Amino acid sequence: MRLFLFAIGGTGSRVLKSLTMLLASGVRPVDENGRPVPDMELVPIIIDPHKSNEDLKRTEALLNAYRELRAAIHGTDTDAEGFFATRVCSLAEVATGGTPIDDSFVLNMSTVEREKFRDFIGYDTMDEGAQALTSLLFADYQLENKMNIGFVGSPNIGSVALNEVKDSPQFKAMAGVFRPDDRIFFISSIFGGTGAAGFPILVKNIRQAAQLDQLDNRDALSRAPIGGLTMLPYFNLERSKDDHRIDTADFIVKTQSALHYYRGTLTSANDSNVNAIYYLGDQVHSLPQRYDPGEHGQRNAAHLVELVGALAPLHFAGLPVSRLSDPDGAPKPTVAFEYALEKDVHDIDFTALGPATRNLIYDPMARMQLMQRYLQDGLKRHLGQGFTQDQPRIKADMLTSQFYRTLTERFVPAWCDWLDEMHNNSRSVSLVNPEAPDMAHIIHNVESRKGFFGRKTIDDNTFKALMNRESRNADRYAAKSPEFKLLDLLYRAAGEIVDTKFENIN
Amino acid sequence: MKRHFLYLLAGVAFTVCFFITSTASSGNLFEWLFYNQGLNDHLFNLSVYPMLAAIIVCMAWGAAAVYYFVINSVKFDRWWHWLSVLVIVSLVTPLACHAATTALLAGAGMDYGAATVQFGLQHIMWTALLFVVASFSMRWWSTNCRHTPFPQ
Repeated sequence: MRLFLFAIGGTGSRVLKSLTMLLASGVRPVDENGRPVPDMELVPIIIDPHKSNEDLKRTEALLNAYRELRAAIHGTDTDAEGFFATRVCSLAEVATGGTPIDDSFVLNMSTVEREKFRDFIGYDTMDEGAQALTSLLFADYQLENKMNIGFVGSPNIGSVALNEVKDSPQFKAMAGVFRPDDRIFFISSIFGGTGAAGFPILVKNIRQAAQLDQLDNRDALSRAPIGGLTMLPYFNLERSKDDHRIDTADFIVKTQSALHYYRGTLTSANDSNVNAIYYLGDQVHSLPQRYDPGEHGQRNAAHLVELVGALAPLHFAGLPVSRLSDPDGAPKPTVAFEYALEKDVHDIDFTALGPATRNLIYDPMARMQLMQRYLQDGLKRHLGQGFTQDQPRIKADMLTSQFYRTLTERFVPAWCDWLDEMHNNSRSVSLVNPEAPDMAHIIHNVESRKGFFGRKTIDDNTFKALMNRESRNADRYAAKSPEFKLLDLLYRAAGEIVDTKFENIN
Repeated sequence: MKRHFLYLLAGVAFTVCFFITSTASSGNLFEWLFYNQGLNDHLFNLSVYPMLAAIIVCMAWGAAAVYYFVINSVKFDRWWHWLSVLVIVSLVTPLACHAATTALLAGAGMDYGAATVQFGLQHIMWTALLFVVASFSMRWWSTNCRHTPFPQ
């Protein structure tokens, strides 16, 4: 199954970043019986005309690193297990034939980006009456808005501009490869501009695909199971003295208006445009983020709500088809899902999350953090010893390989930044501790088990011993790459450490 | 795996050969490197050679087994750790052999003094050799030291 994931606007990018981190740690969507969804492929499509947006750039860089690492470890295997298990690919990778498209996770919106909104709608060529009507609908600053910085909190601009997406080569490419068992998911905010406008417009375009002659697989696309994560206000912005285009005080009003609109067009009880909707927000708002909708764009610190939001597409992917479509394939009416913390506290550790979330993310995230710690200097010290000498050998040149550098210089630092940002935000998320003095304290508020001589110590040698044991399975690694072997051993060893060396919190 | 069993069989065969040649009446292994007619004749007649061979075999194979399967530690898996065990067993075994030899000779009312020490020096080499053989026979099944003293 392919899940086409539209991440719209800055919030879409931020949630997608959290999802990428979870997937990297080995989280996989599971069905109702707890089994991983087979043959899962994720095709993220970021929709944001503001390409210099820092949140978008960080997410895109992360996705590129993920894709590179995943290809080196698992190739094109869609049923892998371990770190980077889920295949994440760009639309260009899965597209077959048709107009060539950029091998990018970001949808090309060059026709929108180049122009001011007034030029985009041809304001100057309108007759006087149409100009007057347009002026009623759009404020002067909105008409003058250059759309390469997005729609800066103006969904009325976005709803016009994003209607162009259906004519893009990427949208046509998606339709071209869409299969009846594929699904579509949207991540957007409801209190901004790009996301609030993009979600309903794109859902409408997909549901009305049957009327778009230029698309392939129109029937399958128009009947596709569609899910959506709509983020309610959860972050604060610093107030700007001069620029009031985006104001935190407007978030609630915008949310109310948009919810009212969504209820009428997308998510009512009898509406089958969106089959599963996840509304998510938090009354505890984040620390104020630096206001910069302009040239550099928002760069918000990662937040708990984004982490929880990232669980929504995973949950959607695991829903049985019977909950989304009738036996004849017609989409079913909207089902809404809700999420709550087990403990309403400001400092979030794993025990504050509900058991379902813990079951899904505790083990993978702890493994990932243990791997991060081991890679700091464990592997360098252990080269030429033990497991590294079993076939396929992990040689010293691994440390200078593109794979290893991408892992340790691009992905792992991004992982640590992500954790650090969530920790320093409000609510403060402390699931694992990148700064812990030793591995025994790497899972926040989870102690290592007691042994005969006190609490068990966990260090690089613990890893080495477990990897030595796992590495003896020659059949498992026959015909596999050293990259696969390294990450698989780390995943297995870290899993054993989590299971046997730490107290059980599940 | 098959290759590993061949190494084990070769090691056992070598050790059996060592035991046989060190207890043989002619061409005795212990007499190749040191021969003192009176001492060696008495050692042979008192059946000390089989006992010495057994001590050497047991110490060498025992030390290797302890290193690879009891110690078997990631903190003790470098070539110098293995070499340390080799040195220790190669020094301890001749001492044990010397103690056994002098005790038996004393029991028979004989004392060859320095000749006994000179005879015992060769046990360093035999022990070291058998420790190497034992190491290469059994290290494949060690979890943490199978690549010690050098990779498979």
